[in-house]
Amino acid sequence: MTAPPPWTCPFCPLLCDDRDASAPACPKAEAALAASTPPTDLSARLHGQPVPREQALRVAAEWLHAARQPLIAGWGADVAAARALYPLASRVGAISDVCGGEPLAQALRAQQDRGGYTTTLAEVRRHADLIVCVGSWPAERAPRLFERVLAGRETPPAIVVLGDDVTAPRSITVEGRTTDIEGLPTGQDLPTTAALLHLALTRPQLCADERLRALAERLRSARYAVLIWEPGQLGAQAGLVIERLQGLIGRLNLSGRAAGLPLSGSGGAASAQAVHTWLSGLPLRTQVGPRGLEHDGLRLSTERLLADRAVDLLLWVGTFPDQRPPDGDRPRILLGPPALAQTLGHESATVFLPVGTPGVDHAGHLVRCDGVVMLPLRPARPSALPSVAETVNALLAALQQLDAVEATT
Amino acid sequence: MTWTLLRGGRLHDPTNGVDGEVRDLAIQGGRLVAIPDESPTEVIDASGCIVMAGGIDLHSHIGGGKVNLARLLLPEDHRDRMGGSNPCALGDNPLELVSCGHATPGTLATGYRYVQMGYTAAFEPAMLAANARQAHMEMGDTPILDHGAYVLLGNDEHFLQRLAEGAPPEEIRDLIGWTLHATKAMGIKVVNPAGISAFKYHQRKLDVDESHVHWGVTPRQVVQALARGLTDLGVPHPLHIHGSNLGVAGNIASTLATIDALEGLPAHLTHVQFHAYGKEGPKKFSSAALQLVEAVNARPQLSIDVGQILFGQTVTASGDTMRQHANAGLANPRKWIGADLECEAGCGVVPFRYQEKSYVNALQWAIGLELFLSVRNPWQVVLTTDHPNGAPFTSYPHLIRLLMDRPFREEQLARLHPDVAANSALKDMKRELTLQEIAVMTRAAPAKLLGLTDRGHLGLGAAADIAVYRDDATDRERMFTTPEWVFKDGRVVARAGRITATPVGGTHFVTPRFDDERISEHNGGFAAALRERMARNGSVHPQHLEIGHDELCACCRGGRLLPTACFEGAAS
Repeated sequence: MTAPPPWTCPFCPLLCDDRDASAPACPKAEAALAASTPPTDLSARLHGQPVPREQALRVAAEWLHAARQPLIAGWGADVAAARALYPLASRVGAISDVCGGEPLAQALRAQQDRGGYTTTLAEVRRHADLIVCVGSWPAERAPRLFERVLAGRETPPAIVVLGDDVTAPRSITVEGRTTDIEGLPTGQDLPTTAALLHLALTRPQLCADERLRALAERLRSARYAVLIWEPGQLGAQAGLVIERLQGLIGRLNLSGRAAGLPLSGSGGAASAQAVHTWLSGLPLRTQVGPRGLEHDGLRLSTERLLADRAVDLLLWVGTFPDQRPPDGDRPRILLGPPALAQTLGHESATVFLPVGTPGVDHAGHLVRCDGVVMLPLRPARPSALPSVAETVNALLAALQQLDAVEATT
Repeated sequence: MTWTLLRGGRLHDPTNGVDGEVRDLAIQGGRLVAIPDESPTEVIDASGCIVMAGGIDLHSHIGGGKVNLARLLLPEDHRDRMGGSNPCALGDNPLELVSCGHATPGTLATGYRYVQMGYTAAFEPAMLAANARQAHMEMGDTPILDHGAYVLLGNDEHFLQRLAEGAPPEEIRDLIGWTLHATKAMGIKVVNPAGISAFKYHQRKLDVDESHVHWGVTPRQVVQALARGLTDLGVPHPLHIHGSNLGVAGNIASTLATIDALEGLPAHLTHVQFHAYGKEGPKKFSSAALQLVEAVNARPQLSIDVGQILFGQTVTASGDTMRQHANAGLANPRKWIGADLECEAGCGVVPFRYQEKSYVNALQWAIGLELFLSVRNPWQVVLTTDHPNGAPFTSYPHLIRLLMDRPFREEQLARLHPDVAANSALKDMKRELTLQEIAVMTRAAPAKLLGLTDRGHLGLGAAADIAVYRDDATDRERMFTTPEWVFKDGRVVARAGRITATPVGGTHFVTPRFDDERISEHNGGFAAALRERMARNGSVHPQHLEIGHDELCACCRGGRLLPTACFEGAAS
């Protein structure tokens, strides 16, 4: 296999790896590539003023060294970044949480309470004969999802969209074959809808909604039913909805086959979750505290910690489009693409270290939405920007120097 | 050149026929060498100590998605007592990054805890090809330990389809060779042959001669094809088999049928404790350990590891979705994770608490010990708990004491469900394993079974991976818990239970010879088959299936790459 391997798109949970960056034929990839134009100003900044990178790194290390309770938030980069960030968190006693951590935490909580049964893209394509999208039209955020799971299918699966206020097309066309999309609004909110569908399956005589009973019957007789949901689109009670859906899947698996395909983890979140968990033993929203590692999915959220002023320093990492540092008045060390500097507003008490985006500026790895497949990334353009991993390792080295100075004085 | 003298230790080095002799060892450049003429740079007094090669765990779930799922599922595993309210206490060693857990510790803690017990290598037995990068990364993030993995085959749709279509043995051989090469694996493991796939097609059980409902192939055919292909490739580690019907009463029939299916080819049967059950007695669940042992004793080409269970909380993590789904009702705490994976395999994570008062659990405990104590040749048995499935690896010292100390064993037996204690063959077993036999089961045999010629022994030229234990005949558990010194490639990495250095471990993998032409882009054969496979049963670009050496190096944190050659003269 001598041809150069293809580009892997890092911009949505699907990590499509079959097209060149010059022609991704995906609206999301095109928009993201257009937004990450090659930078002209690569300089680091301190309080809004350009400074040499070494100086910015030194100041950042001093702040980390002095901080009593730092928060490492965002984690919006690749696997290598996460493998560098956890040793930093361990070294400085930080709390860690990802950008958009709430849906991730809710999905995790449902998993920690009840477990669940999931599947992967290849399995969906091979086996699914009924796909039910719950609460959203996932192609809005993962444009090529149905192309990926319908391509090559002789008999495409039936596709149902469950829930109110979901804008879905009436049909989709893949490889010249059109598949109808069946909408199923219920007039109920999602937690109620999920509960009613569960009821329709387990005690149909108690469920008044005929259409939900019919759907439950289709799920029961499916050869391999797949429920797709996006934790970030399930509302404030996402955890409850997911728990219900997994209860439904468990029930279906007693006699037939079903599985869930949660779509989440874009922007490096799935990778950060995996890496933090394997290194420390615990998932994100964990504190390297004086008593040991403490994991608390409710208490240790970025928004809450900043609102409560429970941390005295924010180190934020976000290299993907739309990842912006959270509001708050804490001193902050920001690692992001150079263009971010123009949109920060105030830069008091701010160190800004420009970094590259994985899969655009440099190679790397990301974990796909199913949490199973890890794909290599290749740069889409030549770039002089350092990666997050390189930058964090430089910070760690600077911290070690500070330790050495402290030890000798 | 500097060298270290390890003086006056009593050596147990079964590979070189050294059984408890007091001998000096010279360590230079990370290797064991003849005593140099010049005086040593450093002298370590090992008198009163037992010296063995570093321990090698050939079956321990230390890397890859399912272990990480277990960590996600069980935050309570990371508190002081499982489910307690306090976090695991911080260590006081600045060399250790913070990492915790009991049944599924973080990779950092996994490395530290193994090394503190005198182990210097561990092998992940169930790597998914689609998840191979992550598995290598997790192992690369397991400090100090050398590592490697067996990749799963025998449940992927392409393989089953080609087997059903009557693919010639050369094609199966090249598929195996390519899979090992692409994923940088050390061997092939088959889990519930064809059964994981069958579960996706609604089958709930699959006996050795029962047909997969869709592909029509049987587990017998799968085992035969894989064992034959590995033999033809000359891969040192034979087919690593997790058989059919794990945990089912009466599964000894499947286990013996699987052995029969091998038709004399070598194989390693893993965690056989879970596969040695009869259905005699009032509870229709009995030990079939002696039947299995009879088969193993009669076949020198077979090896086993036991998968001993020990009482307490753990979590079972397996590729065997069919069986894990069946056992999910026993989950304790009551939650479990299952998954179908990329038309290749599956994954089931079920927390479990083995209880002394449970008849079934007590019998499982006794069966494991019966297996250890009745296989005649220790070179055919490897000490494992199938970490974390039978118990966490940190319980090895306790297990060693059970095997070496009969009164201790009987004391434990007396605490169990009375029917087990009264009826088990174990109560009449007088054998106490010797230090030499323990050295075989924990170092020498695993090295031999993996084809590692310079590990697992203390001969000249071997890697200086060494564990030095203070001899303690009254409490072997204490002795094996905290060696005085542990050396990794000649460097002291633990001293009296405290980590003293954290080098990055190396990655073992095999380099099978297979028909290179067949993977050429310009050749129709294998590349076309791969493309077809991914088009129908995959979701990544075929060129992303292969992990190159540079990428492997990055995955493994720059640790050394340790390729193992295959046997010369294998069919090509």
